[in-house]
Amino acid sequence: MKGAGIAGLAGLAGCIGTGDPESGGDGSDGSDGSDGSDSSDGSDGSDESDSGNGMASEINVWGWDVAARALMITSEEYESENDATVAVEEFGRSAMKDRLQTNLLSGSGAPAVSMLESVDGPSLIDTGSVAPLSDEIEEAGVKDDFISGKWEALTVDGDIYALPWDTGPTAVYYRRSVYDEHDIDPDGIETWADFIEEGQKLPDEQYMLNLPEGDLSGVWRYQFRQLSGEPFLESGEVNIHNEKSLRVARNIKEIYDADIAANIEGWTSAWFSAYGDATIASLPSAAWMEGTLRAELPDTAGDWGVFKIPALESGGPRASNWGGSNLMIADQVSDDKKARGWDYLQFSLATEEMQLAMYDEYGLFPALETTYEDPVFEEELDFYDGQPARALFAEVAQEAPGYRFTEDTPEVSQAIETELQRMINGEQSAEEAVQAAAETVAENTDRDLA
Amino acid sequence: MREQRRKDAVWQFLTYAFVVTMVVVMMVPLYWMLVAATLPQEQFLQFPPRLVPGTAFLDNFAALQERLDFVRTIRNSVLIAVIYTLLSLVLCSMAGFAFAKYEFKFKEPIFYAILATLVLPIQLLVIPLFLLMAQLDWTNTFRAIILPWAANPIGIFLMRQNMKSIPDALLESARMDGATEIQIFYRIALPTMRSSLAALAIILFLFQWDLFLYPLVILESADMYTIPIGLAQLTGFQRIYYDQIMVAATLAIVPMVVLFLLLQKQFVSGILAGSLKE
Repeated sequence: MKGAGIAGLAGLAGCIGTGDPESGGDGSDGSDGSDGSDSSDGSDGSDESDSGNGMASEINVWGWDVAARALMITSEEYESENDATVAVEEFGRSAMKDRLQTNLLSGSGAPAVSMLESVDGPSLIDTGSVAPLSDEIEEAGVKDDFISGKWEALTVDGDIYALPWDTGPTAVYYRRSVYDEHDIDPDGIETWADFIEEGQKLPDEQYMLNLPEGDLSGVWRYQFRQLSGEPFLESGEVNIHNEKSLRVARNIKEIYDADIAANIEGWTSAWFSAYGDATIASLPSAAWMEGTLRAELPDTAGDWGVFKIPALESGGPRASNWGGSNLMIADQVSDDKKARGWDYLQFSLATEEMQLAMYDEYGLFPALETTYEDPVFEEELDFYDGQPARALFAEVAQEAPGYRFTEDTPEVSQAIETELQRMINGEQSAEEAVQAAAETVAENTDRDLA
Repeated sequence: MREQRRKDAVWQFLTYAFVVTMVVVMMVPLYWMLVAATLPQEQFLQFPPRLVPGTAFLDNFAALQERLDFVRTIRNSVLIAVIYTLLSLVLCSMAGFAFAKYEFKFKEPIFYAILATLVLPIQLLVIPLFLLMAQLDWTNTFRAIILPWAANPIGIFLMRQNMKSIPDALLESARMDGATEIQIFYRIALPTMRSSLAALAIILFLFQWDLFLYPLVILESADMYTIPIGLAQLTGFQRIYYDQIMVAATLAIVPMVVLFLLLQKQFVSGILAGSLKE
């Protein structure tokens, strides 16, 4: 299965170009070529400069975990088609973030290309150490090839600073055997009220979902985003005490009060165990969760299904996003490295062949919307007992609204976490919780309330 | 009399009960780490946790070794920590001796300025130090990890306090006998400081052994990683390699335990020395 990799997907994806600058990028957009790098002269004395096309002959790329290994697939392909070396280095997630931030702030030692989580986008871009890519993206004509919800986190003052990579369309994973046994119909669940009602069918020792007290802000965020909520207005005011936020807070309280939720800290042995033995029957999460479930709970393969996250009210939106990464270029590297970096970015992320290869091998759900027409998305998957789950994720990815991450996003998470915990413990109402959270954020970030 | 004895016995029992409880509280995580290092990942994730050692230690180690070359990582850490400890012991004891036994201009202000650097968090120093090392072209070298911390303010303070307890008359009589200042330091002062040096050696070794953020930024290639940097590479987003992390953590404490066992006698007396003035 894994070995099928690139060769197989190359066939699936069709002839979408090589990504070689000589052959015109992804070839599908009619751009003339190379990549907008002609303006860079590579004259900064880099000893790795390729004399011909203004592109360095060697660049380094940083990533973590499976993402880094996915980049090794594209770097190998890129090297085989270009006279260049792309050295991918794999790190731990927080180790890489710490190191990259220091290198960017100090103006020295950063790699040409590195991963950038959407949630970190604005805070890193604000340091002025990330190279703007608006001109390159416009010249290559690839912007519309990606899902629209990705760009907001990568755009500051009208300039785009990274190219989208993967995305985290949300869905509820559920254990088929438990739902069948207790006559719960996933197709009949349209709203959270339905979800709660169906959850009452489970016996006392089984839970419909997990709602850990330490991650209420994560739950709040994906539901707030589901309603197209924005934590800050475009003009900067704090906006987490509005009607949408209140609706989400009430929903969390209703789920909690219905006694259908377990309270187990995420990613602990107790958490894995509860999903392994189906003590918890459903898991609202994102497309990337499949990789974790496959790796850590292999015995459950074939017993999972997915459905769209319930709407907050009948007829409401059922798509959101949780997570996702991009690739950026450090502003401190020489022009010829930037040019090579952009060429590699375009090859890896803006070509269907490479995006599909990374999805197939490592489960990185592509943000490149043009891939969704590929037959691979219609495949019936054994892990989901034959359900073509990728099609559902693709639909959600296209529907998911954008989200305004800022350098103050962590403040929002912290304040929401604290106040929602007090709410579910009965210390305050939902109205008081969101109002208090908004006031805390406004005070700590020196912003006004919307 | 009997009443008193009974009271003493009760107190003794309570004291022992408290001590035993604290030992258990402290040892359980260590025990769990040792057990977890011998379990495959799927057993590690079981709940309730398995408390009996398994047989997967070598498999976990092999996976760790393949992923990280952990033997080299340990070697790097030991090499850096040993060289750093020896160098820092020399510098700190010399500086401590100077501050304790010599009179020179601005002695007190200089000493307090050195002490004041203790309040600077390492996060504040990382970027300037990184830029300095980049200018010297020392990034990705061990000397960049060792030298900036070699004159350790805690070490200087500890040695100064201890050196103060050496009687001035002893040093004076050595001078009268014709000893040079260097001879006085090495032949007379240093030998009386054995327990303090042992205590300081443990403190310095531990400081360097645990150093994370600074080496993370300075050491660029995987073959130069120290243990904390190596451990940090095992925590991804979709998957955390608990089995490998536990093996690495278990192996990481071995040199510390060995060092402590070797020096433990001197450690306590060294820490206490200089704390009382006669």
